[in-house]
Order: sequence, then structure tokens, then C-alpha cells
Amino acid sequence: MRSLGSAFLLLLLVASSSASAQEYKLKYPLGLKKMKIPKDNPLTTAKIELGKQLYFDARLSRDNTISCASCHDPKKGWSNGEAVATGVRGQKGGRGAPTIINAAYQTRHTFWDGRAGQSKFGANDALEAQALGPIQNPIEMDLTLDEVVAKLNKIEGYRKQFQSVFGTDVTSDGMAKAIASFERTVLSGHSPFDKFKAGDEDALSEAAERGRKLFFGKANCSACHATSSFTDQGFHNVGIGMDKDEPDVGRFAVTDQLGDRGSFKTPTLREIARTAPYMHDGSLKTLEEVVDFYDKGGFANPQLDEELLPLEMTKEKKADLVTFLKEGLSSSDYPEVEPPKLPE
Amino acid sequence: MKRKLFALIALFTLCFASAAYADDHVETVLAGLDNPCGVAIQPGTGHVFVSDSAAAKIVRVVDGKAEAVITDFPIGVYGKGPMFNIGPLGLAFLDKDTLVVGGGGLADGEELLRVYKVPAAGGDAIKADAMEKSFKLAGSEELKGEGNFYALAKNKKFLYVTCNGDDTKGWVSRARIKDGALVNYKRFLATKEATEVDAPVGATISPRGELVIGQMGEISVEGDGLLTFYNAKNGKILLNLETGLSDITALAYCPKGQLYATDFVWLNTKAGGLFQLISKKDGDDQTIESKKVLDLDKPTAMAFADDGTLYITVIGTADGDKKGGKLLKIKAGL
Repeated sequence: MRSLGSAFLLLLLVASSSASAQEYKLKYPLGLKKMKIPKDNPLTTAKIELGKQLYFDARLSRDNTISCASCHDPKKGWSNGEAVATGVRGQKGGRGAPTIINAAYQTRHTFWDGRAGQSKFGANDALEAQALGPIQNPIEMDLTLDEVVAKLNKIEGYRKQFQSVFGTDVTSDGMAKAIASFERTVLSGHSPFDKFKAGDEDALSEAAERGRKLFFGKANCSACHATSSFTDQGFHNVGIGMDKDEPDVGRFAVTDQLGDRGSFKTPTLREIARTAPYMHDGSLKTLEEVVDFYDKGGFANPQLDEELLPLEMTKEKKADLVTFLKEGLSSSDYPEVEPPKLPE
Repeated sequence: MKRKLFALIALFTLCFASAAYADDHVETVLAGLDNPCGVAIQPGTGHVFVSDSAAAKIVRVVDGKAEAVITDFPIGVYGKGPMFNIGPLGLAFLDKDTLVVGGGGLADGEELLRVYKVPAAGGDAIKADAMEKSFKLAGSEELKGEGNFYALAKNKKFLYVTCNGDDTKGWVSRARIKDGALVNYKRFLATKEATEVDAPVGATISPRGELVIGQMGEISVEGDGLLTFYNAKNGKILLNLETGLSDITALAYCPKGQLYATDFVWLNTKAGGLFQLISKKDGDDQTIESKKVLDLDKPTAMAFADDGTLYITVIGTADGDKKGGKLLKIKAGL
């Protein structure tokens, strides 16, 4: 188990003084681009530390059992290792808990259906918009914003930190900004794929290299899993769950566009070997199952994405693709973070 | 480097547009069109040609009325809901008599870029298969086939075509113009690899000769449209800017040099319109202000006449059995 200090080194953050306004200079792992940070929420040392405490604090839930980390656990790929999320009183949600690795690059929409988005063009504050959602969800953390703010204001350690960071007592706006700031430090790059792209021809095994070619070529994966974050931030219907009598309509519930029925946001594939089970409902247990699913062209339905067609890959090609996903996108600098000491 | 970029951006920011253009500047030239998706102005005659896409034909405007020029194009379906029937798409004249039509009705890999000798006004229409020449971008072991040849833009040497087949690449293809004919049609720019955003759609040539592409982005995502400048000769990306627009369908420079874009806005078509793209500086960064000039109902293509008159096709909204497509004419003066 790594110490807290080394965990921060793994996040590639440059440690600095504890002054509340001290800017955190983020050092980007190989392969990741400079991220867009909201102008009204610059990264600071103290804010990130505060956000980390909030992220790991189960007191943000009604019965003090569920924190952000309960469903987005660093030890489980920043997901939860289960098909769906589990909230207070053991309640089960309808969708899986997506990893928050590289969520910093999701500047437009968050949640599987994109219901939280940036406040305006160029604001890049979708993470802030997302941060308070699960707290208020009755089957996740089940507190109103008034309740959680009042609860945290009774904790002197939080009140002091909010005064130092934001110049106010605890506010929901400050909570969102702090949590989002912490999440912006959870980065994965410097993978064998990134090294290969940077010119190290030996970074990928032969099988992974064959899989890489398929991924960006005939297998058509990069039509949606594009960019250095391996997501186009778009919404696609791949057919998962569409065989049910009352399928989860996903993005359609937000946009009311028929074409969005059954569409869900493209997840990142960084560290995917750690984030099983897969798909928005956790219905596929292994990457082999996922590749088999796509090889068949997804599940046919009227809104099936036009990028999905039967691939008819050989067993060997499917294995190569899985190898690329597992080996190529797993970083030796995985962002491990230990829970911090929480304020009293 | 910065100086170069500022000089480049100045190309499309010569002056500010006025506020929303008055309705009395807008005239409906043709109504009842069926998903019109392309417009071009014939050199010499000034006749306006329109891809009446779902009607499977190209028409020209003569004395204010539509006259069929080329008919019986194949028709396909675009979108998952709403869905649009589409046939011929982008149009461009190589010379007075030579019209290039980008197809949208066939499967990727089978789609055709067709070259016609157009009959004179008043003459009989010709069939879509009566082209002088045609080109396709078939698939291979490594590449998907291409289709939906949406926008056409040309300079003296090349015709550029935005394609919508391989979503891993987002190709802009091009053909050399040799002795007034097209040759060597092939994939040119992998715009998705260059910009990390889907779907090149709008295209034009800047007054200084750069190839300018409007990247549509995801139709289920608002505000992800990009404006990208490329060296038209070697394809090198010069400048890539977020616009705040959602689904750019067309780009065009007015004779004064200002750049305009049409935005379809799939998620909220009531927000669609004509926009002037104005350069801004945010510290050391270049940005764009997309200033709305006109509300438009699902705009698809536009072309400026030499006198500054602007023609825009819109899919519009059907009224009962009457198709909602229109060709609009915007008085010179933008």
C-alpha cells in the first residue's frame, strides 16, 4: 500500500505550499492534453485537498454510509466493481458507476445520459454540474443541498477549510468546485499505447500492436472511443438492454429526440482492465464478452448506431483487440489515492 | 507563430455584422422543396441550382420557378429519429456547363461523385445516371468506404469534398482539376484525427486560399462544432477553433471577406440559423464569437452570388402534405 504522499506523486501533481490560493501546477501524464479548467475554479492545493476529503467522506450521505468513493473507488478502477451503483440503505441504481479516471476531459456532459452539462459554451464546468447530483439522489446519498450544507457546517474542520479556500462557510457551490478540482487530478496516461504513440516501437507487445491496428481500423472502435481520452463525449445506441420490455432509454429522456433512444455516453477506455463489469448496465462481465458483443454488431434495434456492423473477426483478432485494451491502456502510473484523514 | 495565426484569423473578421437581419431582407425563392441539401450558382448565367435531395433531383431557378435539370438520383435515409430522406447533396460548378454533384443516397463505398454537362435552361432534364464521369471511394482491408458527399469546395487546382463514411477518420477527399475535368479523386484529410471531433460537413476556400472545414461534431451534443483551417495544398492543419455552434452544415465567405456558417442544431432546431464567425482574443488565445444573423429552420447549404446575394437552402417544417424545404434569398449587404 502506497503512502498518501506517494499517491500524490503518482497523480503527477507538483506539491506546493498549503496556502489556500497556491496554484496547483498539474503535470500531465504522457499522452494527455492540457485540460480545460473553468476560469472561476482554478486548481489550488488547498481546494484539491478539501475536495479529496469531501470525495471520501460518507457524511455526505443521509446515513453516513456512502461517499463518492463508495461507487468510484480508486481500488476498483475508480468504479465499484459491480453491475450497478449501490446507495444508502443498500438501494441499487439502474446503471453502473462509470470510472472518474480522466473525467476532467468530460467538459460538455456528465452522467451516462449527459443530464449534467456545462453551464454555457466554453465554461467547461460539467464536472462541477455533476458533483452534487449523487448527493441529492434519493437512492444514492439522499440529502438535499440544504441538509448537506448544514451538516458539514457543523464540522469545524470543514468550516475552517471553506473559509480559507472560498472565504465562506460551507456552500454547495464550494463543495462542487472542490470535488471537481480533486477529480481533475485523477489522471491516467503514460500507458504502453501512449509510449508507442510517442515513438517507442517496443512499448506494445505484438498482439497488442495488432489489436491497436484493429481498434483504430477495421474494428471501428475509434469511431466513438476517440481522442486521447478514448471517448468522443457523444451518445450512442449500441443495443445494450434494448431487448427488454421497458429498456433504459438513456439520452432520450434528456433530449426527447427519437434518435437518442437507448443512447449512452461513450465511456473512456483508460484503465479498462480495472473497471469490469462493462456497459452502462454492467451486463457484460469481461472484455472478451464486450468484444464478442461488438463483433456481432451490437443488438439490433431501430436506433442502433450506424457505426455498428457485424465485424466477423477471427478468434485471434478478437484476442488481439482484448490484449490491446488490457495491456495498451493500463498505465504503470495508475492514479492510486488513499482516503485522507477527515476533518472533525 | 502567433503572428501567423492572427493574420489567418483576420481573414474572416474584417468587420462586424449588423444585428439580426431584418425579415424584409429575406425572400423565399422556392418553396415545397423536399429536404434541399445543396446550392450553387452557375457561372455566366447566374442561375441558382439546388439539390432537391429527397425529390431525387437537381433543379435550377428560372424566372422564379424550379426547372428540373437532373432527375432520378438514388435516395437513402439519414438519421435515427428524426430521419431525413436524402439523395443528391453538395453542388459545385467546374465551369459554366460542368456541374459536380455529391451523392448521399447510396451505401458507403458505393456512393458516387458525379460530373454532368448540364443542359441549357429550358432543355430536357437528364437522368442521374447520364453523367459524364463518376468517382467513388471504395472500402479496403484497411479503410471503410466513403459516402454522403456533403459539401463541395473548389479552388483552381482541386475540388474538395466532405465525406461521412469512416467515422474513425472523417475524410475530406479531393480531386485534381485538370483541363476542366476531375481526375485522381482520393482521400485527402483525416479531419477526425486532426481535430478529434467527428464529421466534416461544411467546406469553403478562404480568400487567401486555405481550405476551411466546419466539423459538425456529435449531433447529440450541442456546441461542439469546430472551424478548422488547412493548407489546401498539403493538408497541414493551421488553426482549429471551437465555435459554440452545434452542427455546422455550410460555410461561405461573402464577397467582402466575412465568413458565415449555417447551424442545423439537431438537438434544438429552433436555435438553428445563419451566423457570422467573428474573431476574438481571450488573452493570448484566439476564439470565435458566433453572432446570429438570421433564424433558420434546419439550414443545409448556402452560396454567395458575386453581388453578395446569399442563397440558403433549408429543410424547414412540412405543413400537412406540403414539404417544408425552401430556397431563401438574402439581399446583398451582409
